[in-house]
Amino acid sequence: MSARYDAVVVGGGHNGLVAAATLARAGRRVCVLERADRLGGMAAGGAFPDGTPMPRIAHLLYNLSPAVLNELGFGAGGPVETRALPTVCLDPEGRHVVVRDGSPVLADGRPHPEAEAYRRLAARLVRFGGLLARLADAPPPQVSERLADLAGMRRLGPLAALGWDFRKLGRGDRREFLRIVLSNAHDVILDELSDGPLAGSLAADAVRGAWAGPRAPGTVFSLMYRLARGGGAALPLGGMDAVIAALADRARSLGAALRTGAEVTEVRVEGDRACGVRLADGEEIAAGAVLVATAPGAAMRLAGPAHYDIEAVRRLRNMRAKGTAAKLNLRLDGLPEVPGLGPELLGGRLLLAPSVEQVERAFDPVKYGRVSEAPVIEAVIPSLTDPQAAPHGGHVLSAIVQYVPHAPEGGWTGAARDRLRDVALAALETALPGLSARVTAAETLTPSDIEAATGAPGGHWHHGELSLDQLLTVRPVNGMARYRFGPAGHYLCGAGAHPGGDVMGAPGRNAARVALADATAGEAAA
Amino acid sequence: MNARDSFAGRAATPVPQGLIDGPFHQRLAALNHARAWYDWAGYAAPSVLDTVEFEYFALRNAASLFDISPMRKFRVAGPQAEAMLNRMVTRDVARLAPGRVAYVLWCDEEGMVIDDGTLFRFGPDDFRLCCQEPMFGWLEDAAWGFDCAVTDETDALAALALQGPTSHAILKAAGLDLGDLRPFAHREVAPGLAISRTGFTGDLGYEFWGAWDAALPLWDRLWEAGRAHGLRAVGYEAVNIARIEAGFLTAGVDFQPVHAAERLHRGRTPRELGLERLVDFGKGHFNGRRALLAAEKRGPRSRLLRLDVEGHKPAQGALIYHGRRREVGHVTSGTWSPTAKRNIALAEVRAPWGTTKSGDLWAEIYTCEEGVWERRMVRARPQRAAFYRPARARATPPADF
Repeated sequence: MSARYDAVVVGGGHNGLVAAATLARAGRRVCVLERADRLGGMAAGGAFPDGTPMPRIAHLLYNLSPAVLNELGFGAGGPVETRALPTVCLDPEGRHVVVRDGSPVLADGRPHPEAEAYRRLAARLVRFGGLLARLADAPPPQVSERLADLAGMRRLGPLAALGWDFRKLGRGDRREFLRIVLSNAHDVILDELSDGPLAGSLAADAVRGAWAGPRAPGTVFSLMYRLARGGGAALPLGGMDAVIAALADRARSLGAALRTGAEVTEVRVEGDRACGVRLADGEEIAAGAVLVATAPGAAMRLAGPAHYDIEAVRRLRNMRAKGTAAKLNLRLDGLPEVPGLGPELLGGRLLLAPSVEQVERAFDPVKYGRVSEAPVIEAVIPSLTDPQAAPHGGHVLSAIVQYVPHAPEGGWTGAARDRLRDVALAALETALPGLSARVTAAETLTPSDIEAATGAPGGHWHHGELSLDQLLTVRPVNGMARYRFGPAGHYLCGAGAHPGGDVMGAPGRNAARVALADATAGEAAA
Repeated sequence: MNARDSFAGRAATPVPQGLIDGPFHQRLAALNHARAWYDWAGYAAPSVLDTVEFEYFALRNAASLFDISPMRKFRVAGPQAEAMLNRMVTRDVARLAPGRVAYVLWCDEEGMVIDDGTLFRFGPDDFRLCCQEPMFGWLEDAAWGFDCAVTDETDALAALALQGPTSHAILKAAGLDLGDLRPFAHREVAPGLAISRTGFTGDLGYEFWGAWDAALPLWDRLWEAGRAHGLRAVGYEAVNIARIEAGFLTAGVDFQPVHAAERLHRGRTPRELGLERLVDFGKGHFNGRRALLAAEKRGPRSRLLRLDVEGHKPAQGALIYHGRRREVGHVTSGTWSPTAKRNIALAEVRAPWGTTKSGDLWAEIYTCEEGVWERRMVRARPQRAAFYRPARARATPPADF
């Protein structure tokens, strides 16, 4: 046995780093073990063959938890400088729409005919999203426990606060919240807007990364979730890599040890308590607690199914996690001239979702193991905003392409990958004519590649579908919602835990706080 | 052949209607003068063949044959079969040697008993689990992640219980001398035929496990050997009296198997069934262990007691009172025990009356004599030991009677 820590964190993605920093800040000796050669997981960067940095998987910040920022001493500005990006809803007909701070205008500067309707709808969804954000910074409410003791009452605090916020919404909003919260994005959006790029962009935001079309129930909930912090997307200067570097630096300066290339193959359990980990090379690391940032099923397998109840294993292995988002990263030698889209708008968050109807149609093929022929795309050209994004000149385009199956008919052959790239490029070409001619290098990451790179099951961004049956008190699964994960001292701190995915940090922080509370209670009892 | 009987040119397999025949049905049907059949897991099983009294006294004073083929039988085999079973059942399977049988329980994640049964170990990696409830889906779930295979042998394996004091003598007469076979041991006596010294009567007895299509010759061999030893075929009613005397539980009667219970809080922990000795908290994790540890702290909600009830009217279904006034439980199984000459019952009694304050218990019994109903409050005294537990059941070698 080579070392002893108070806690080891398995997985050096943003949640692992936040968990480690939170523990280190409380004076605990912590070690983060990352399988890959670089930290970051889904947020880890890469590089094009010419050395230009590449936002490999994640490319924007939406939802970084204010509690995380505050506790880790980053202040409201966040770990790195960011630029708020306008959302540009691309229209193959050229009538592009630009949304800034929740207000749409046409790209040519004329007012958008449905601006007021959109503003009202978006503001309402952001307000409702705020209610959900209230739940994100604490373990999910648990209403089944006995209320006899003070601690039990205290745990109901967030729920009581939610109830208070809910009351404060006012009668009309309360009724509206309850009317739409379980319904589908298609109906809610098209009740207020006519179908087109603006409506389509909201629908695309509702289903990003999901195995669902906008007609699926629960997509309003996921839209609110995305809008929980106001809905603005921000481009971190220096890329997501810089966010990871800042989190890693903070964890290190608080005393955490960070190791890459350290693959954990087993969480060791003795006497129904996690007591350390074993690495692929046989090294054993002893620890008082083990926090695992992998997907829930993988975390269970690390300790071994023998340490879990049969029902828990059944639920974990049936957790739905079918990724539908692929990533296309393009190195460009220049930008095409796009009429009506100047550099300022091309530097925005480009959404190719011409209508709600087309987002729904794009979902259909993936159900049968085929790639959408007209995919929904969120693209960013960070080099227009951030000079560090393409230091050797030219530009970089990062695109999330949806819907793409994890396991297509015939498997992900080289030809299938090339076809996916061509389909995505052709789709981008409809709004950005001339783009293909500027591509000098391209990397295509299928959901299957994302799974191989990060371990996320199905390549799913959130380690498990963010659907109503896998949220809050049933995330990751019924009975395991409060971060404690089977044996004592074993915790789940990744996106599979409440509140879920996006580069948010809340699961890592909440899990670390539960682990700290348990450790403190254990020390008090000893 | 008309269209109803064929599909795409193939003859349709007739779907059996009603109860189906077990492997010994031909012999049982010929003996079933009472024509009393009941549904045991879809099979036609005899409740009484002749009269309960004849059958019961044959069981206790001579020997009885009872078809137990409708029991669910599952083979669990593979390098991690022991680990898989140890994670499922509450006892330590590692301590079960090949050639031995253990009475085991398994619980759900909340520590509520799913079912009980007997676990046979054939070798380091080879087991058979016999129980009352359908369990294949559960076993498949329990085996996930373990290198072992679960096979449902229910309809491939015939099983027959030979129980009673002359059962060993009958074995010898049948050319099967198993005098050295200890209680809870089993042995393969011929290819495809295993005998275990187990049973559901608390008496000397054996159970036979063999191929479904070799069932009738087995029956005939024992029947012939039993002629001079008072052997009778018996139905469930006689066996039921014997098992209450022995203090054995029946799933669905004395407790609600939690997977079959639809209402909340109908499940029971092993301690609540009086079976805490079958729970080994020290062996590592098993299903429901964390919940059971928490339940140990809270204490049992109720307890299944063995009651000696005053009078002779069976207390089946009676309510149990404390101090004649407060209702605290109910009888789950009650019978007159002809051998113990006592009126006996198993009863679920709420805490603390069933646990720490179990004195002053009364059973409310209704009697109807020629159309006149009366209600009687009679004493019900808890007792620890089984009502009937003869030493001959444990003697090795067993004596000839």
